[in-house]
Amino acid sequence: MEEKKKTDSVETAGIPSSSAAAAAEENPLLSELVVRAVGVKKLYELGGETVHALRGVDLSVKRGEYVSIMGPSGSGKSTLFNMIGGLDKPDEGQVFIDEVDIAALDTFELAWLRCHKIGYIFQTFNLIPVASALENVMMPMLFAGMTQADAQDKAAEILKRVGLGQRLLNKPSQLSGGQQQRVACARALANDPAIILADEPTGNLDLKTGEEIIHMLEELKSEFFVTVISATHDHKMLAASDRVVYLTDGSITDIKRREDLDITFGTIGGQTH
Amino acid sequence: MAKYEYQSGKTIHGIQRRRRQLPIHHTLHIAWQNIRVRLGRSLLVTSGIILALAFLTYIRGSDILARNVVTQGPPVLGERIEELEAQRQAFLAADPQIASKLKAKNADEDHPPKTAEENQFEALQKKMRRTQQIRAGLESEGLTGLDDKDARIQTRWMLSLAMLVSFVGILNAMLLSVTERYAEIGTMKCLGALDSLIVELFLIESFFQGVLGTTAGIVIGLALTLIEGQARYGSVVWTLIPYGGFLSTILICFTAGIVLTIGGALYPGYRAAKMRPVEAMRAEV
Repeated sequence: MEEKKKTDSVETAGIPSSSAAAAAEENPLLSELVVRAVGVKKLYELGGETVHALRGVDLSVKRGEYVSIMGPSGSGKSTLFNMIGGLDKPDEGQVFIDEVDIAALDTFELAWLRCHKIGYIFQTFNLIPVASALENVMMPMLFAGMTQADAQDKAAEILKRVGLGQRLLNKPSQLSGGQQQRVACARALANDPAIILADEPTGNLDLKTGEEIIHMLEELKSEFFVTVISATHDHKMLAASDRVVYLTDGSITDIKRREDLDITFGTIGGQTH
Repeated sequence: MAKYEYQSGKTIHGIQRRRRQLPIHHTLHIAWQNIRVRLGRSLLVTSGIILALAFLTYIRGSDILARNVVTQGPPVLGERIEELEAQRQAFLAADPQIASKLKAKNADEDHPPKTAEENQFEALQKKMRRTQQIRAGLESEGLTGLDDKDARIQTRWMLSLAMLVSFVGILNAMLLSVTERYAEIGTMKCLGALDSLIVELFLIESFFQGVLGTTAGIVIGLALTLIEGQARYGSVVWTLIPYGGFLSTILICFTAGIVLTIGGALYPGYRAAKMRPVEAMRAEV
């Protein structure tokens, strides 16, 4: 796996087209499905009216994939996202995370799943304001039952990886937006999850910082061997995706692979990477 | 889209169901930080508790003190009057004219200077008069004044009102604190926090405030009781402090304060714990 990591990153730098997806097809371990939604439907009652948030969505995501879900607000994007994150249960159909049907889980098991299998990144960063960067990253580890000392070491290591080795003890209010989102990325990686769920991770960041975060997520994806599922409505943020799922009015209207995307890749702040 | 075989009813095997999710010192630390960060509101809540508890302590404490003074005061005061009388007689023995001289000087509009003895004699007389007045007051008041039924019912109403106001204050502040922290609680739930941990956090936070407010309230209430006692009965209260009664007052008030604060935090804590983690995903700031 170590070797795989290196070749992968080299490929990403050299041939920027869907290297991870290609690798996923070769490697039997990678081709395992980490998220599987089957005929997912969800209804909401809004002011006496029934709103079909999702009208039967089928979606599978392979381990190690970077999938973006695109769609305007009201398309059911958030609803689908919440289902995949184990935050909401479907009215009809099933959602499997790591081959576990989330509808069959009780609250304790759901909490366990969120703690161990899923890392969340939010648009508004959502760091705990009273805790330092280090404590923020440690929190899910402590929830998972890790000892204080182990959690501290591991959290410091991940924070160093995301480039915040000098800011371990800063409170979120003392960090810039980009730095806060980096802490959030580190926190999402805390318990070696299978999936990272990023809901508009760049929505509150300027273009350059946003691209840096996306680029970092792409790197972390192969480094930590996780699947990244991201919701966005910003076309500029699709560059790192292996696949883009277009959602309109509660149904999937289109799925594009990276090579089919009509976007220029690799310019961050005017420099070619 | 490829069709996959349905696989239902599979749960997660081999997960350890722990009852405590975080070691207690972590929970305490987070709760303490939350109080510190919202110090203004915390102090507001705490001051509400302080007022209610000071009132409760004062009402109970002054009643106990009054009973003690009324029943045991007159004999103690009688002894003191005898002491003072003996001192007066000593002055009179040294100078039989002292009383009439003093009277003449006080009647003179030119305020002729008084001697040290005359001053002392005058103070002694004043003290005696006041002590006699207090003793007469206590004897005529007796326990009947304290057992006035109407007054007691009125006091009870006021006490219940004070407790209710304080309870609503705590409830309100904690609910506000929950609403304010929706995103934070949702985030913690996304990170895998259990409902029990969230409730625990709120209860501990409230408990901190309760202990602080209750202690301060009791101290203030007792201080008020003693100050009022001094003003009403004179220095004799210091020899007639009902220590046992005060101790039971402290215990009762402390329990009441803690029950009040924990009770006020239960519902908000429950609401926070039952909140769906989806709320954290909502990007409203």
